[in-house]
Amino acid sequence: MKSWYISRRKALKGLGASVALPFLQAMIPPGVRAENFMEKYRPQRLAVFYFPNGVREDHWTPGQVGRQFDMSPTLKPLEPYKKDLLILGQLKNNLVDVKGTDGHYTKTAPFLTCRLIEKTTGANIDVKGTSMDQIIAGHVGKETRFPSLEYGLDPVKGGVDELVGYTRLYGSSISWESPTRPRPKEVNPRFAFDRLFRNFVPGVTPKKENPWKKSVVDLVLEDAKNLNRQLGAADQNKMAEYLESVRSIEKRLDSTDDLKDFEANITPDIKKELIRLNVRLNDYIELNSGVDATEKVRLMMDINALALWSDATRVTTFMFGNSVSNRSFSFLDGVEGGHHSISHHRGHPQRIEMYGKINIWHSEQFRYFLDRVSTMKEGDQSLLDNSIVLYGSSLRDGDKHRASNLPIVIAGSGGGKLDTGQNIIYQEDTPLANLYLTLLQTMDVPTHSFADSTGTLEGIRV
Amino acid sequence: MYFRSLLGVALLLIGIPLFADYPEEQRHYWKVVKPIFDENCNRACHNADDKKGGLNLNQFDFILSIQRRGEVFLRVIEHVENGTMPPDNKRPLTTTEKDTLLFYIKKYISDALEKPDPGLITARRLSNREYEYAIEDLTGVIVKTDSLLPRDPGGGEGFDNFSGTLYITPLLMERYFEISESVIQQMYGDPQLWQRHVPSNSFSIFQKIKHWWYAWIYKQDLAHEATLDNAREAIGSFGTLAFRRYLSPAERDKYLSFFEQVYQSVPEKENRYDLAIQEVLKAVLVSNHFLIRQEADPPLKDPYPISSFELATRMSAFLWCSIPDTELLEAAYRGDLRDPELLRHQVRRMLKDPRAKRMAESFVSQWLEIDNLVQPEFEMDQELFPEFSPDLRTSMYGETVEYFYYTLNDSRNFLELLNGRYTFLNEALAEHYGVEGVQGDELRKVDLVTPERGGILGMASVLTTTSLPNRTSPVLRGKWVMEKVLSTPPKPPPPNVPDLETTREIHDEFTLREALVIHREDPACFGCHQDMDDLGFALENFDAIGRWRTKYNNSPKPIDVSGSLKSGEHFAGAAELREILNTKQEQFAKAISRKMLGFALGRSIQFKDTKTIESLSNSLIENRFDPLPFIEEVVLSYPFQYKKTDKVVVDHNVGDDV
Repeated sequence: MKSWYISRRKALKGLGASVALPFLQAMIPPGVRAENFMEKYRPQRLAVFYFPNGVREDHWTPGQVGRQFDMSPTLKPLEPYKKDLLILGQLKNNLVDVKGTDGHYTKTAPFLTCRLIEKTTGANIDVKGTSMDQIIAGHVGKETRFPSLEYGLDPVKGGVDELVGYTRLYGSSISWESPTRPRPKEVNPRFAFDRLFRNFVPGVTPKKENPWKKSVVDLVLEDAKNLNRQLGAADQNKMAEYLESVRSIEKRLDSTDDLKDFEANITPDIKKELIRLNVRLNDYIELNSGVDATEKVRLMMDINALALWSDATRVTTFMFGNSVSNRSFSFLDGVEGGHHSISHHRGHPQRIEMYGKINIWHSEQFRYFLDRVSTMKEGDQSLLDNSIVLYGSSLRDGDKHRASNLPIVIAGSGGGKLDTGQNIIYQEDTPLANLYLTLLQTMDVPTHSFADSTGTLEGIRV
Repeated sequence: MYFRSLLGVALLLIGIPLFADYPEEQRHYWKVVKPIFDENCNRACHNADDKKGGLNLNQFDFILSIQRRGEVFLRVIEHVENGTMPPDNKRPLTTTEKDTLLFYIKKYISDALEKPDPGLITARRLSNREYEYAIEDLTGVIVKTDSLLPRDPGGGEGFDNFSGTLYITPLLMERYFEISESVIQQMYGDPQLWQRHVPSNSFSIFQKIKHWWYAWIYKQDLAHEATLDNAREAIGSFGTLAFRRYLSPAERDKYLSFFEQVYQSVPEKENRYDLAIQEVLKAVLVSNHFLIRQEADPPLKDPYPISSFELATRMSAFLWCSIPDTELLEAAYRGDLRDPELLRHQVRRMLKDPRAKRMAESFVSQWLEIDNLVQPEFEMDQELFPEFSPDLRTSMYGETVEYFYYTLNDSRNFLELLNGRYTFLNEALAEHYGVEGVQGDELRKVDLVTPERGGILGMASVLTTTSLPNRTSPVLRGKWVMEKVLSTPPKPPPPNVPDLETTREIHDEFTLREALVIHREDPACFGCHQDMDDLGFALENFDAIGRWRTKYNNSPKPIDVSGSLKSGEHFAGAAELREILNTKQEQFAKAISRKMLGFALGRSIQFKDTKTIESLSNSLIENRFDPLPFIEEVVLSYPFQYKKTDKVVVDHNVGDDV
């Protein structure tokens, strides 16, 4: 952990006061001269986009490897960002690609953990590891208002899939802050927006905070702590969850300075975005479409991008759908039916055609995100330049349920640290965990292994 | 370091008891029974590497571990008795081996069931549904948490009240705080709601004179004391309901001093009494005592009956999806709930109360898995089914809920879920079903004159949620019938066999049967698909949104809805299938019992519940599927009344670490 530099917000404040403050030296990483500190220090961000049900194989991987390659039909929408992309072939989620496990649940939950999950209808939820995004959030999260933010198109799917004996929660979560605790995802764009920005939208009256909230927090904390009883292990965990959640509110109430700092991050450019987005959210709710998946995805992506740009957080994940999602894609020309059903094409040309179209729709939405973050300026760079954006699925061909040769694309160089603009095909069955280890190290997490990693990926670091 | 490893070895040596230390029965298992498994079952197939059929028998070194996984060994017994295991290509068991194996395995299992075990019920937060209803019953304010709170996952028997998946997170907590503020404000805004718990703190002219007199002569602030008394009263009234028990004096004082703090801080405000009470009530709504259902965990090894107040809370969560009312709390206080007759009386009272409809809705919609219908992300192909409007889906959902509630409360006959000759329709749904003479949006009971529909199998809600977005799926419908009605859920498809019927080259429904017949030629699939497919085909006269049809769109031939079950019955179409299912009462009783107990307890049904399930289904059958005595039995059942403490009991000192 590099503890010698101070967060950007604190830095901004410090610089605003006086550049000559004696402690300034402390926050400059070695090798960076004071005058261009602001130029050099841009926080790295991580954004993950997961889509369910795999891809049409023959339309995913570009034909040529290296720097000179033509985009594949599915990735065609990303053409303008070719030089910002790393298309990675033959990565495999080794530990979960085993015989005798379920096709979807056992692959979705471990998408970012790379470990085999405990089979359960809910009593012993255990994914055996913390997800890659959450490890990073644990590392950089203290700097921001939220350690990480999790978004999705669909809420957690309820109940148990009795046929295979898994709680559907496994198919609804890729972010695991501990092996037994998934992060809840927000799926309502209005609430997600308000949580971050409500008080900063020009022209909208800020919500007044109840002046007694702090005392309420103290009271219930006090009460819960004094619960002078003996508790079983599970009950104690539940109480710990409660206390931790209340404390997170306490922390936010205590740190009014942080909020002011955050307000300082809301630049005039961000304000313009907030006004526009707020109007679109109102329209979306008035029309009560709820059905317009494309607009909903884009709203969520706008919020996602703004959360990163305003430094509300540095780590986000987004799920296009839960495992086995059978979202109807009949709104696309030439597609008829649900996503999961179509993904089981069984080699039938017409179905494969439809499957490919659904994949392209996903690429187009991802392109929308790249459009947004590439125009968000940070000095002479863009937010995209300073981010690592992972786009992928936990299956290759949705008809076969294999977690080998996974469809994985990285966009952005994480502040110039990744050598983008390549299509790389690795040796068969290279652990997906190797990619995650590489990303962890790229984001300065001091670690030498992740799940079944055998090393870092060659050829993607600068 | 060196020392430490030495210590480890020493501990290890002490920790492992010698063979002779184990009970005679366990040693016998190792000497006589386990070798039969090892020789005939584990060596070639059921070991950790091969796990044939998903089963590793090697891991069962102890009788206790067999007893814990009794359901696995029931299957083992079945296979060995039927001679299906070991399979034909392996050496059969000798008569002695077979007899020995069966005798002892059966003994272990029945021994295990002799010892009553209530299972583990751990602390859990209110589900979103329970939270909404609890707020409503407590404050009179209706909140919709739908998109505000992260949706609850589900687990156990498939219900949203399963403790393992009810997490508490910072995001959730933030929203609880927001909701508590707006709820209490709304409550205050409506004098009727407010005064239910908070009578006004005003004094008559005589009281005022007395207060003035005492203040002047005795320097005693009677007014303030009276105010505090009123506040104590109000906090007690609200807090008792919220916490499902009486507040301890210390708790009351803590809340009261918070009241005083707020009260004193705004001397200029005329409504400062109400303002201060408001803040206290907000605190109650975010307290762990309100949000988390937690039963005491005394450090006892054996199971023990839960306290009366805990029982009252279990009952209200089960029957109302909410908190107890005053009457139930008073009954708990008097100890009435310990008397089976008075307990039954409370159950009957609660079922008659309109709040029982929440249970009906929660249970039936999750049991039959039709709750998807009212969730916006559930979609059917809009081009193929433009009729599938929001109104229609709500009506479909409503039909099933009303119907279930009717069998629970009016006709008092759960068998009508299979064979009822009526249903609940409004204009939209009646039109959908081709029934004439129903007008308006209200769902009302309508007698069915034609045989097509009747019971849950003829309901559009079920028929739609078991279809794909663009067509019907006989497999999904068949699976649904096996799971929900017959209590014989099919086994998962063998590994690497993709989702069957969706995998075939099926362009449209017309070729479904053809495709499935090919599928069934594979012996690996035949076992389950024989029944599953035929059950589904019997319902093919209903299209993917539950409309009646006799032909597929693109075919002049009538749809083939004939089929048969392994058990020998033949049928053609929904009406005949209904008749046959009507004879499978034992299986249906078992299906409901399992789900109802799982719902009541908020946990998975396990092997140790076998006897409870048996006696519950017997009570259903004996009482001709009258739900009343059945639900009373659920509440009186051992796992509902008893509890055991989690293995690790630790002194609770979470607060000390910060």
